[in-house]
Amino acid sequence: MAEKKIAVRSQDPNQRRVLDSATRQRRLTRQLDALEKDNFQDDPHASLPQLVKRLPQFDESNESGNESSKRRKKTRGDHFKQRFRKNFQTLLEEEDLSVSEGPNYLTACAEPSKFPQRHFCAVCGFPSNYTCVSCGARYCCVRCLGTHHETRCLKWTV
Amino acid sequence: MSTLVLDNGACFAKIGYSHEKVSVIPNCQFRSKTSRLKTFTANQLDEIKDPSGLFFILPFQKGYLVNWDVQRKVWDHLFGKDMFKVDFADTNIVITEPYFNFSSIQDTMNEILFEEYQFQSALRINAGSLSAHRYFHENNSELCCIVVDSGFSFTHIVPYCRGRKMKEGICRINVGGKLLSNHLKEIISYRQLHVMDETYVINQVKEDVCYVSQNFYKDMEIAQLKGEDNTVMRDYVLPDFSSIKKGFCKPREEMNFTGKYKTGEQILRLTNERFAVPEMLFHPSDIGIQEMGIPEALVNSINNMPEEMQPHFYKNIVLTGGNTLFPGFRDRVYKEVRALAPVEYQVSVVLPQNPICYPWEGGKLLAENPDFEEMVVTREDYEENGHYVCEEKFDI
Repeated sequence: MAEKKIAVRSQDPNQRRVLDSATRQRRLTRQLDALEKDNFQDDPHASLPQLVKRLPQFDESNESGNESSKRRKKTRGDHFKQRFRKNFQTLLEEEDLSVSEGPNYLTACAEPSKFPQRHFCAVCGFPSNYTCVSCGARYCCVRCLGTHHETRCLKWTV
Repeated sequence: MSTLVLDNGACFAKIGYSHEKVSVIPNCQFRSKTSRLKTFTANQLDEIKDPSGLFFILPFQKGYLVNWDVQRKVWDHLFGKDMFKVDFADTNIVITEPYFNFSSIQDTMNEILFEEYQFQSALRINAGSLSAHRYFHENNSELCCIVVDSGFSFTHIVPYCRGRKMKEGICRINVGGKLLSNHLKEIISYRQLHVMDETYVINQVKEDVCYVSQNFYKDMEIAQLKGEDNTVMRDYVLPDFSSIKKGFCKPREEMNFTGKYKTGEQILRLTNERFAVPEMLFHPSDIGIQEMGIPEALVNSINNMPEEMQPHFYKNIVLTGGNTLFPGFRDRVYKEVRALAPVEYQVSVVLPQNPICYPWEGGKLLAENPDFEEMVVTREDYEENGHYVCEEKFDI
């Protein structure tokens, strides 16, 4: 006889946790924010030891000369770095757009679409009709559901 | 007195003197795992022998210039002796900014242009305004046009009337090339091969293989077929940087539909990803972003305009930006807008020869315009009056 097919759907209902809609929404927002990232790996230079540029000077005649040039250089570089190193969210809040009138960055954002949302299987990408009971992900067929349960369903928590 | 036109984009900087050709140069710094000590700037990308796992440092965040350290380093390189050898005291600069740019960023830009680099005069303008200028230059009789600028960070839809932008009609969709590439990386990493680190390589895949489908559900059905009937499926050979320097798409004759390939190359088999990824520009809700797609937002934006102008806007839709280079983009936009627009209006969608450099060409024409001298702010003006004169003159 042909080998037994492993039943995918008949799982012990007590064992599978069901996420509520707030958690599902949080997961979705997390995923969308992850799409904004520039890099998914770490900076290759981050773990390099900082080269020791200045050894302690014990020679007194050199000290004053070095110090003033160091101070001059430091203020120039630091000035720019401290003033201009702000991230996007800080800058947006500084603009304080809620009190300004007329069109601005926030009002220019596109509105939600009038067309209904289309759903695609999280595993294979084709149009899906069914939803995973536990986490809300879409799937198109039982095989994709099996893959989803094995790999992704509830594998990380928010 | 020469004029330097710089279209400062989040992904590429389009730069050139107004009497010369444009160069398209990446506007960021790179770090590589293999060459540990050096940080590569802008076009030094060509010097990297192994662009796998390339680490990008972008000055832009969500489309706005946030990291001035990196931007100044890139500009130092571009303005310096290796590239354009700019003589600051004798040069005007035309530089582009995003729409609704924050006032703190505008002030910082003024300071850096006038106090650090000390250009003779500067003009800060939106990239779409340069595109509109170029369009009106070619089509003298038209009064209005609507510019779709679909770039790396987002997509803007901006109506222009008699050369001025209409602020009430500006619509921003937060879907851009970066989102498309990152999404493609995620689905390939889940389905086939872990490529989350390979931004540069997957960007190349997206540009080579993705297209905009004219009939989404039909293409989905074709992509589900097996074997030879599946005309959508393509195999992409990934570069390994020793024998294969650059990835390429295998032509259909060489594809092996059954079984595996004998050679040792890494292959990505792409079916519905080819058209599902650019589909996000038309339906951001596919991925969960609750915003309108490009055709809907176009129609929405035009409907916010006074009624007598609406037919003029429908007749002059201009597509610019890197995302418009997907094959089939223009036809799809036309088809959807035609379906949504009122039947008595004529709809015409224009895709220029070179959508990436279209604003730059507008800047070049603007620099040769006799009114140019009145539009710029000179360094003496700025030193006397400060940021106020820039706020007054530039319409950002």
